[in-house]
Amino acid sequence: MSANKDGVWVGEKFNRKEDHRLTTGKGRFLADLSVPGMVHLTFLRSERAHAIIKSIDISAAEALPGVIAIVTGEDIKDKILPMPQPVVQPGLPGRFPKHWPLAVGKVKFHGEPVAAVVTRDKYIGADAAEAIVVDYEDLPYVGDPESALEPGATLVHEDWDDNIIFEMGFTGGDTVESQKENDEEVEKIMQTADIVVKNRFRVQRCGVTPMETRGVLAEWDDSDGMTAHITTQRPHIDRLALSDILEIPSEKMRIIAPRDQGGGFGVKAPFYREPILICYLAKALRRPIRWIESRQEHLMVVSQERDQINDLEVAATKDGKLLAIRNRGIADCGDGCQGVYWGFVMPFLGAVELPNGYTWEKGDVKVKVVVTNKSCLSPARAFGELPTRFAMERSVDMIANRCGMEPAEVRRKNLIPELPYTSVCGEYMDSGDFIKVFDNLLDHADLPAFRKEQEAARKEGRYIGIGFGLGVELSGVSSELMVPMENQPGYGAATIRLDARGKAIVFEGDAPQGQGHETTAAQAVAHTFGIHPNDVTVTTGDTGTTPFGSGTIGARMGSYFVSAAVDAADVLKKKLARFMAHDMALSGATEDDFEFSGGEIIYTKDTNIRQSFRDACERNIMAPINLPEGETAGLEHTAFFEAAMPMIAFNADFCTVEVNPENGQFKILSWTTSEDVGQIINPQIVEGQMQGAIVQGISNTLFEEFIYDENGQQLTADLENYKMATAADVPNMKITHAPTPCPHTPLGSRGIGEGRPSDVPGAISNAVCDALSPFGIEITELPLRPNMIWRKIQEAKAKQAAD
Amino acid sequence: MNTTVNITINGEIYEESVPNRLLLVDFIREVAAQTGTHVGCTYEGVCGACTIQLDGEAVKSCLMLAVQADGHDITTVEGLAKDGELTPLQIAFNEHHALQCGYCTPGILMNMDEFLKKNPDPTEEEIRHGLIGNLCRCTGYAHIVEAVKDAATKLA
Repeated sequence: MSANKDGVWVGEKFNRKEDHRLTTGKGRFLADLSVPGMVHLTFLRSERAHAIIKSIDISAAEALPGVIAIVTGEDIKDKILPMPQPVVQPGLPGRFPKHWPLAVGKVKFHGEPVAAVVTRDKYIGADAAEAIVVDYEDLPYVGDPESALEPGATLVHEDWDDNIIFEMGFTGGDTVESQKENDEEVEKIMQTADIVVKNRFRVQRCGVTPMETRGVLAEWDDSDGMTAHITTQRPHIDRLALSDILEIPSEKMRIIAPRDQGGGFGVKAPFYREPILICYLAKALRRPIRWIESRQEHLMVVSQERDQINDLEVAATKDGKLLAIRNRGIADCGDGCQGVYWGFVMPFLGAVELPNGYTWEKGDVKVKVVVTNKSCLSPARAFGELPTRFAMERSVDMIANRCGMEPAEVRRKNLIPELPYTSVCGEYMDSGDFIKVFDNLLDHADLPAFRKEQEAARKEGRYIGIGFGLGVELSGVSSELMVPMENQPGYGAATIRLDARGKAIVFEGDAPQGQGHETTAAQAVAHTFGIHPNDVTVTTGDTGTTPFGSGTIGARMGSYFVSAAVDAADVLKKKLARFMAHDMALSGATEDDFEFSGGEIIYTKDTNIRQSFRDACERNIMAPINLPEGETAGLEHTAFFEAAMPMIAFNADFCTVEVNPENGQFKILSWTTSEDVGQIINPQIVEGQMQGAIVQGISNTLFEEFIYDENGQQLTADLENYKMATAADVPNMKITHAPTPCPHTPLGSRGIGEGRPSDVPGAISNAVCDALSPFGIEITELPLRPNMIWRKIQEAKAKQAAD
Repeated sequence: MNTTVNITINGEIYEESVPNRLLLVDFIREVAAQTGTHVGCTYEGVCGACTIQLDGEAVKSCLMLAVQADGHDITTVEGLAKDGELTPLQIAFNEHHALQCGYCTPGILMNMDEFLKKNPDPTEEEIRHGLIGNLCRCTGYAHIVEAVKDAATKLA
């Protein structure tokens, strides 16, 4: 534990409270939970990408000893309401394909659940699933989003007239006329600007698969109803959705996100179909049922994001002033059958965030999201924006090259100079100082020295390069955006209960998966009460005990949840102050005349007058006599925090690389960041969030790719084929700060880390292109693999020779 | 088909009749109820979350059958701390914030515990290569490397 002056816990290193149990094997993850009489559920998943289910023969499977029940789509379709249900349906103008937990009639992707087997033992479950015989009749595979847009293309959903699940323009106002006028003005800029760079950028299907897969343990009791433990980032939303779909009254539905969850990164945020079936069967069979997703299932059906084509045009003046953007995005949605996001909310937000932290006169930004016979896109950290940001950050470098300017100079010149600012795509950016953050980064880069080193290295035949990337990230998601985008509130909610010994319990309805909420929130609350973080316990994720929250998503911790906790603590502080003023007959004392510090409440007008925090709590709770007028006993309060406007955080990165032009292999030599995360609560946790996010970005850029073959077979459903970065693949990272406290939160903190991987692919690609600038290659496609770089070098050499 | 095995886990003897196909990781988690050992991949030995020590050597318990561990002595993450006293490596993981969700952590601790015994004064590069068999999705590995270095210093 670190030293601490005067009970100041905000901004201090404090070793995590979560770690003791997690380093001694005492964590309780979903797979560690079991109850008496528990049985196991195994899914049989489709081996075809697009096929009619002609018949399913379960007779051999049923005959196996230990098999309790087998169900197919036909068995459940009249017993469970289909998706969509309004509670998990965003207000955006999209389509919401009808579906059940198990395929009905046809399968739409390799991995779709076709049947479920309930067995006494999970090994028998695997045997039984294998013994089920499904007769399929193949349909044409729809695998390419652009072909899927062509007239007459095979339909993924037969009741639709095309394969478009979502289509939207983001610029030019609300009327057809204003949009047309806007688009014409953009066209005019594109025609007349000194420089226009136009490229097709592709980012492969990849995501941020957590180390713990998904799982459910559901138990039904005829009087208490359903208790379901689910690996989830949003237990309260799961509760409402399961209640609606299974037609179980909400008071009979309790969802518990395990205290320990092995990562989420967005993957555990949707409302998935598996929990629906497991809860349904737990009730129907009157048996506790557990399902632990295998890694193979996981990689077949979730953690798949990105997968966008962005045709981006950027116009600029010859001295590097950015003028306008025009983008046509196409995202490959997969089948679109997934609650809350439906595969299209991510590309929606990616388009909103395309303009990044630059000023633009005009923009024309449109996106189409197309269904295919693949698993539905599910969210991954840097929600929707990694592909658009890659396109933007690469384009800025191309503009700089055309102008003969340093890419860093072009960035600095075009950064939004003053906030608040609303982008051409309508994104409101509340506060911060982008130029301060970027200048801090440049201080660490020493660009002139690097250019000298680069020149010297080239003389030795070594190719080193530097690349920049920057990013505006959401700091939580305000109700203003969350209500239309996800049909959910954005507020943060926290209940604080003080006990008669002066200890605090904080109840959080969101569900962390490794972000350290138990520590960060304890520090913030301890700071407010002037007590020690060890006297604060944080309990999360149980809908039976916590206030409603939309979940641990979109960097809501440091922005919304912590703010609610501080606000709740503040209400209780004021009550304690009023009681003390009354008890000690401090006439004229106001709530603000008391300081809470070092476990004491001190009257600031006469610091000899003080009371221990514990005694004050005990007096209120245990001795509710002689109360101040109009007061009641009790020290418990729930606060809901909503900022007036959406909030952001900002960051910038540079990395250096060395590329071997003989084979295209490259190594990241260094990585440095500059962050504005506002007031830091726990610096070590912030640093960990940044480092983790950057490595996720590196891993997406260099390695990860979900590959479907020409028949829609997913070839990358294990971690040998879906390669993730190891410790030996990645550099150390220097994390630096140039903070501006957020004026809209009580501590000045910002939510951080969610969008953070998004500027990584641009920075790496820019560095590789910079290293290879004598060849003049441009990277427009990910993953960035040595063979692609080598091929581009060969093409460039051939072209240079021909010229 | 079942076989009776005799396996010692964290000093306790388990004599049990188990199906021949039972994986060692399932024996540890389900028979011995030591759930600190985790499963993160498709029993292919890639993620390393199930790493334990078999007779002092770090191995992946998803790649072995329980019957293969008959007569052997196993230590899992639950057996690292003695009488509630954490090892310098466990303490360093807390000090350096070397874990976030903690799912991969037990496997990393079991691997690095053995690694530091074989290589008490490792370079950063050696530590990073030593960690290749353990995937971590949260931390970006930097704090893990720091923690292992620090533990090496404390153990010296």
